[in-house]
Amino acid sequence: MKRLLPAWLWLMPFALVFVAFQMAPLGWIAVSAFQVEGSWGLGHFQEIATSPFFRQAIWRSLEISLVSSLLGLIIAVLACHSLTRTSGPLRRWMIAFTNMTSNFAGVPLAFAFIILMGANGVLTLALQRVGLIDDFSLYSRTGLIVIYTWFQIPLGMLLLFPAFAGLRADWRDAASLLGAGRVAYWCHIGLPVLRPALAGTFTILIANAMGAYATVYALVNTSYNLMTIRIANLVSGDLFLQPNLASALALILVGLLAMVTLIQQWLLRRSHHVAER
Amino acid sequence: MTTLTAAPYARDHLPTLDRCDTVAEVATRQQGTTATASPDYLRLESLAKRFGETQVFSQIDAEIAKGEFVTLLGPSGCGKSTLLRAIAGLNTLDEGRIMVGGEEITSLPPQQRGVGMVFQHYALFPNMRVTDNVAFGLRMQKVPQEERGRRVDEVLRLVELREHADKFPHQLSGGQCQRVALARALVVEPRILLMDEPLSALDARIRRHLRQQLRDIQKTLGLTTLFVTHDQEEALMMSDRIFLMHDGRILQQGDAEALYTRPRSHQAAGFMGHYNVLSGEQAHALLGTVSRAARVALRPEAIYLQPVSEASPGGEVPTHAGPGCRGVIRRRQLLGNIVRYAVECAGIELSVDALNRGSRHLLAEESEVLVFVDLDEVQELEE
Amino acid sequence: MSQNADLTLSRPKAPALPTLRLPRPSIHALVVGGVFTLLALPLVATLGYALATSWGATLLPDGLTLKWFLELWSTPRFQLAFARSMLVTLGALVLSLVLVVPVAFLAHTRYPRLDAWMNGLVLVPFAVPPVVSSVGLLQLYAGGPLPLVGSPWILIFTYVTIALPFVYRAVANSLRTIDVRSLMDAAQLLGATPFRAFFLVILPNIRIGVQVAVFLSFSFLVGEFVFANMLVGTRFETLQVYLNNMRGASGHFTSALVITLFLFTLLLTWLGNRQSGHAIAKDANA
Repeated sequence: MKRLLPAWLWLMPFALVFVAFQMAPLGWIAVSAFQVEGSWGLGHFQEIATSPFFRQAIWRSLEISLVSSLLGLIIAVLACHSLTRTSGPLRRWMIAFTNMTSNFAGVPLAFAFIILMGANGVLTLALQRVGLIDDFSLYSRTGLIVIYTWFQIPLGMLLLFPAFAGLRADWRDAASLLGAGRVAYWCHIGLPVLRPALAGTFTILIANAMGAYATVYALVNTSYNLMTIRIANLVSGDLFLQPNLASALALILVGLLAMVTLIQQWLLRRSHHVAER
Repeated sequence: MTTLTAAPYARDHLPTLDRCDTVAEVATRQQGTTATASPDYLRLESLAKRFGETQVFSQIDAEIAKGEFVTLLGPSGCGKSTLLRAIAGLNTLDEGRIMVGGEEITSLPPQQRGVGMVFQHYALFPNMRVTDNVAFGLRMQKVPQEERGRRVDEVLRLVELREHADKFPHQLSGGQCQRVALARALVVEPRILLMDEPLSALDARIRRHLRQQLRDIQKTLGLTTLFVTHDQEEALMMSDRIFLMHDGRILQQGDAEALYTRPRSHQAAGFMGHYNVLSGEQAHALLGTVSRAARVALRPEAIYLQPVSEASPGGEVPTHAGPGCRGVIRRRQLLGNIVRYAVECAGIELSVDALNRGSRHLLAEESEVLVFVDLDEVQELEE
Repeated sequence: MSQNADLTLSRPKAPALPTLRLPRPSIHALVVGGVFTLLALPLVATLGYALATSWGATLLPDGLTLKWFLELWSTPRFQLAFARSMLVTLGALVLSLVLVVPVAFLAHTRYPRLDAWMNGLVLVPFAVPPVVSSVGLLQLYAGGPLPLVGSPWILIFTYVTIALPFVYRAVANSLRTIDVRSLMDAAQLLGATPFRAFFLVILPNIRIGVQVAVFLSFSFLVGEFVFANMLVGTRFETLQVYLNNMRGASGHFTSALVITLFLFTLLLTWLGNRQSGHAIAKDANA
């Protein structure tokens, strides 16, 4: 039994591609962010920190992400809770539908929302006629929050549903026999058991929103000031390409995502250990 | 003392046994204590429950004395768990009422019934330590902190888990989990303790140990207990009284001895022990007697085998046994202290249990034997 | 209810529990229905627009037609974009299978610690937003020894990395369920070389897991826009870029395009789920 090649050689093609197209670009960003006109320095970060324009982009990215993640999470929680209480066929069907809508993202989503809620959108007109809204604009902060929330809901539901399905009916029964009503059950058992899943899902939703680019780009091109829009514009805009500044901003984005994850891990470690059953 | 509903009942399949070892042994070992206090502390009056088209159970009547340990025994799907959950208030009832100590609790929410429950899969709250799990009921009752601590400590001592007080459920073994669940149910001093197959998820050794411990604690506290199981050995060993359930009805009730030795229907006979159930003609062919009953039941240990070569009936065969009938041993199974023979005799295949008294006494497969039946142990069945 | 909770002892047989139940939709069905409506609205509106002859300032379209779909499907630019998307996506998937399957196989036979490593590595493409990666990619491959920017190659290679989480996880999970080591040992005891054992025994057994991964990452990659637009753009116009460039066109036309894309991904997801359904059924039987 002879070997054609040493086994580890079979790992090399993969390693090569992964390093070249995933790790090297990240490395390049990490290096170039600190390169100011040929020498090391924090100039780009200073520029970002002092520019109201960039600070606005960071602030708006954080704002839209937090708000849409929170709204998406709340709606997903309600939906998942109700789903556990509905009949099997309806539940399976709804999960399949949610899966389907979670694939509907990016440019097509933006176009669909233009048709639904654009200046002449079906829903805009309908709501205006009923008098519920008067000057809604899809291209504003509110509009972006609506569309972000929309794409957070299916993702949140898919991530949370297994946790909700894991809440055992036994626990509720045992709690009720020990004197706990519905509120006491949720405060002492339901929510504490779900906490890791909720925290994890919230983190993923925030990361998802912070990194989102295609939808906003298709919707407002570069006219709404967000981090991803700024980064892309600095490397592929029409004039004044500043790749090193883009790297610095990209590094800040990655840093923010890492921070969110760390906070979540820290909270998780502080919370009670939950059995995986 | 008890309203019994063993309605005549026609279905031909016999429920399968979950366990089939040393039943005779258990029956002789079981304790027959009966409580004497108020005979109807827990009263169930014609309870009935449907899920859509299916009748889960109906005509359930029972009176259970204070401090009594009563087991609902039956194959899975016979409605015993649903009945237990209905008593706990976790399911609604379609008909009937439930009284505890003279007070009707039929439509009280579970929180107000004063009923404790132990579940098959423990149902411990995974986010709480053992102490917090046990203290939960007291917390809901707003029992002050110090008293809570004292009572939790007491009950943990009772179930021998004090050293695990600070652990989380996932750090405990199944047996320990179930003891925590028991402590959690006991600490609030429930009027009735309900147990839904509490030992089924445990392995055999732990199960036997915990069985004894459960029974001891129940006796110490004088706790009125309703225990659900499909394991007849468990039921025989633990209960003051057993209700045998089948297809949503109570087939028969009585203490372990009565239920084991005197089944009244073929379902009961099929579920208890390893009964041979014979039709009238088969009984006639085998025993030579004419029975009024359509069927009779024969316990496998009430049948005696003797090699044809031996001249006279051995010392083991009771004097009031029948004349003896020629048979052939078809199969032999060694079940430890018991040898189970399948004997073909008068065209009937009988299951016969004999004590395993060493290889010299074992009868060979395909050998001819004389079959004697202890006529006192022939049980006539109602249908 | 309170009547039954009465504690009197002497009352004769209490009436049976009230059995009257009104068939009213539960709050939970309403919540699920509400979320469904919310999620379905953009899709339904777009579908309506794609099928409408015209839809002005009214609530309902004027008439229904398939002409937008027919017009779209017969547009050469759409057909080309479709072909390019297929080319890039298929290329990336084939390449990623060729690269990942040996790694997953070795991680489950020879280097057990590699699996832990890989499980960490596959998170990187998940965690890093495409915009960030493309900053680096644009600088590294715009010129120099590997001027790939603007060509489909850079897309194929990048897609290999972002499909990695799906592909590796699927392959690794399939390998875990079949106990690779025993199978390899058995095959080799029967006289097969490791190479032949891998192709004749292992590959057929992980086929379903691999198919699921392929269908799921296929729909994911067809929907990819950021890399396609930033790294290649109009120089190799894929479906998503084409859609974005059609923003000036008639809303009915773009709606037909959106619906076409959605149905296409739906078909792929459905195929993937059907496969995984088979896989589950197979596991259950095993």
